[in-house]
Amino acid sequence: MFTERFLRDKRGVHLERDERDRLEASITEIQLVEPRKTIVRAGEVLQQSTLLVEGIMSRHIDDRHGLRQLVAVHMPGDFVDLHAFPLKVLEHDVGTMTSATVAIVPHTELESIMEEMPQLTRKLWFSTLLDGAIHRAWIFRLGRLDAIGRVAHFLSETNVRLVSAGLSDGRRFALGLTQADVAEICGLTNVHVNRVMRHLREERLCVFRSSLVEILDPVKLAARGQFDPAYLYIALPDPRPRT
Amino acid sequence: MTDYIAQPQSEPGTASAEDGLVILDGPNGLAVTMSPTAAAQTGQRLIAAAEIAERQITDAMHRQ
Repeated sequence: MFTERFLRDKRGVHLERDERDRLEASITEIQLVEPRKTIVRAGEVLQQSTLLVEGIMSRHIDDRHGLRQLVAVHMPGDFVDLHAFPLKVLEHDVGTMTSATVAIVPHTELESIMEEMPQLTRKLWFSTLLDGAIHRAWIFRLGRLDAIGRVAHFLSETNVRLVSAGLSDGRRFALGLTQADVAEICGLTNVHVNRVMRHLREERLCVFRSSLVEILDPVKLAARGQFDPAYLYIALPDPRPRT
Repeated sequence: MTDYIAQPQSEPGTASAEDGLVILDGPNGLAVTMSPTAAAQTGQRLIAAAEIAERQITDAMHRQ
């Protein structure tokens, strides 16, 4: 089942059996995509949307010098460019960060779902609103937090999102990103991220090594990043580990 | 609207050297990495601007 993680553990949007079956039936193709590959370019007209089954993807915008700012990171279960269904053209690129498995859903299928299943349509809408909530949190992160806070916020957010997807136990998770990726996410340089990681390790808050993140103190890490998971709309009970 | 309006920072930022680069952390959300030359020049410009700002405060007090 390719939609197993879609809206998993999200508040008030549990997919009913018939809704999940309809969504599964709307998938026309499964693609294995290599890492660091752009799959949607800004400005191209789109007739399909992409559900991320495995791997990590990003939305990104490059500046005039070619320096990249990641404006979103997507985890397994995210309907990555559902935005493209009503917009038809995106103003940013979408690409893989790791090797990824994606499910392709033609917009004609989404149009049929809109006509046939209003409750499922509302849940798809929820999915894009959740993306918007995460974008707002990212603006807060870049606008208000210092370097350590930005990285602490990102790792805390990623942990909660992966717990929700069933891919973190609340303290340890695989994260196939480099420090350079974290730099592009947090608006920092690679050397700055390196320093932040050392600080987080020395403070016994978090260790990120060899694509594995171990959060030693989730509560203190969240506090350092002013991270409040309310914007992720996780179903209760809170998936974070009790400390 | 928040009751708190952004104010000029009264706490200085922290500068440190890392791998031949200068990292400026804070105040607030400031996080910048600079070459040693750029950092030194920025530092000189900050000092010059701070001297002008202090003179502006002194001049304003004398006008009152």
